[in-house]
Amino acid sequence: MRPGEVVLEQATRRFELRPERARTLKELAMRHRGGSRVTALDGVSVHLEPGEALGLIGRNGAGKTSTLRCLAGIVPLDSGRAECGGRVVSLIELGAGFGAEFSGRENVLLNGALHGFSRPEIEGRMDAIAEFSELGDFLDVPVKAYSSGMELRLGFSIAAHLDADVMLIDEVLAVGDESFQRRCLARIRERMDAGATLVLVSHDPRAIEAVCRRVVVLERGRVVFDGGVAEGLAHYRSSGAVAASAGIELLDADGRPRAAFEPGEALRVRMALAFEQPAERAMAALEVRDLRGAVLFRTDTALGAVEGDVVACFDVARLALLGGEYEVAAGAADHDPPASGMLRSVARLSVASTFEGEGIADLRGSWSVAAREPVP
Amino acid sequence: MRHRFLFEQLVRRELRQKYKGSVLGVAWYLVNPLVLMGAYALVFSVLLKVTGGIQDYPLFLLIGLVVWVFFSQGLLAAAPSLVDNAALVRKVPFPRETIPASVATVQLATFLVMLALLVPVALAVRGTLDPALLLLPLLVALLFGLVLGLSLAVAVLHAHYRDVEPVLGAALLPWFFVTPIFLPVDELPGVSEREWLGNLLEWGNPVAPFVDSVRGVLFEGAAPAAGQLAYMAAATALALGLGALAFRRLGRDLAVVV
Repeated sequence: MRPGEVVLEQATRRFELRPERARTLKELAMRHRGGSRVTALDGVSVHLEPGEALGLIGRNGAGKTSTLRCLAGIVPLDSGRAECGGRVVSLIELGAGFGAEFSGRENVLLNGALHGFSRPEIEGRMDAIAEFSELGDFLDVPVKAYSSGMELRLGFSIAAHLDADVMLIDEVLAVGDESFQRRCLARIRERMDAGATLVLVSHDPRAIEAVCRRVVVLERGRVVFDGGVAEGLAHYRSSGAVAASAGIELLDADGRPRAAFEPGEALRVRMALAFEQPAERAMAALEVRDLRGAVLFRTDTALGAVEGDVVACFDVARLALLGGEYEVAAGAADHDPPASGMLRSVARLSVASTFEGEGIADLRGSWSVAAREPVP
Repeated sequence: MRHRFLFEQLVRRELRQKYKGSVLGVAWYLVNPLVLMGAYALVFSVLLKVTGGIQDYPLFLLIGLVVWVFFSQGLLAAAPSLVDNAALVRKVPFPRETIPASVATVQLATFLVMLALLVPVALAVRGTLDPALLLLPLLVALLFGLVLGLSLAVAVLHAHYRDVEPVLGAALLPWFFVTPIFLPVDELPGVSEREWLGNLLEWGNPVAPFVDSVRGVLFEGAAPAAGQLAYMAAATALALGLGALAFRRLGRDLAVVV
């Protein structure tokens, strides 16, 4: 295996579904094989050359994380082959796991040790890790005091500085703020320029588009698509019970369709969703964006088990937007809330300019002016 | 050794995690065995007045207890170690043997501190500064091998079958009483009439020769017999083999079961 090469050949892995995870001696004695098994990976074959970047997409339970865990060598396969050439660094799940009682700095050492580094090797990287993480004095505070964003910053900073030949990164990046995400993606590209291979699991098409040249779509543990990013994302969007939202209407307080509103008015967004196939756990999402596509507001809701035509409404009691042009986008999908790029039904929303203020948010404040009060 | 730094980090983690934030900190590792030994010493030598006609009986008892406490506490600490470190096991591929091994090493360190306290007393009281004392490091090494091998086995078994730790806890209690800690084997009740019982207690229990030989060196200034040494070496090799086998058979799926 060359460093950076990734091979999955007919990789198959089943898991036993047990009510409790641990077997007991009683079960062992009774030869009771805890019942049903679920196939997480079913003959998955993927080959990556050094320096390639693969986006792995699919619904929850499609086998994305299992693929990463098998590639990382954490979980063995039942049959087939999963191998990575060179040093593999994975960022699979967040959580205070590495030692909540220990400081960030101590966690860097432990993490380095777990990845096979010696003390001088990891200590030599400490400054770079500290700088990238921007944690400052927090690096000497126990990790249990960290927010999830800080934990991600520490986790990614460590992973990004371990000179990986193969990087396996799960959904975790979604936790970080936008500026950190940008720096992560930049760092990932840097590592790829140095010849590292990337496998990125994400629900966010933008992250996939930003770094990946190739996409594999998994469905029930099988590869259903392997190819270019745009086609792959389109395949994912069209696969399964992703609802084609047939129509989106903006209604005023009297229930009349309108496109132009005043700040402070009531607004109802009415979505007619057509499910081509029955969905077990449908999720609908709605976004308000500016015309450059920046999301100003997003919300989603569970619809439950649905099929056929469904109407969902989102009521805004007081439209808190200032004058300008906006887009309202909506869509639905099964299992996961649809990602931003999957909201294909869009309605234009014009808000009339008034004297409430400038910008986009209507805060409806009021001024009061008085002489400065004398300090007693 | 490639994993030296990892091992060092895991030992530090094991040492500090448990008692982090407590006033005594690492010293708690010594308090537990000291209290345990103090309680046993009190019960046997003062309340029950078991002395078996042995001179310096408290010292006799303490030497046996130190060995037993290392053995029993080592296994009890190792059993849940993989499950307790599930966060590491589920996220990173690394040799999982290092986890129970680091736990056993921490227990070894407490054992060595206990011995360091006990040896000068024994030498002073019993005048046992004999050549036999040179065998003590060998006995300690063999005992550590026994504890290490069994630690690996119980840790990986417990990860798969969660009854292992409670079963072990329950088994150690009667095990203590059939181990010649508070009396030598031939003075245990009922042994003088029944030779087979003495043999069983002496050879059927892998801890017995360790207790007996460490005590022999420190208390009597006598080296263990060749047969006993061979038995201990065999028991240690068997335990290590058992640990390696258990890991090979059950270690693969650890990330799934912990």
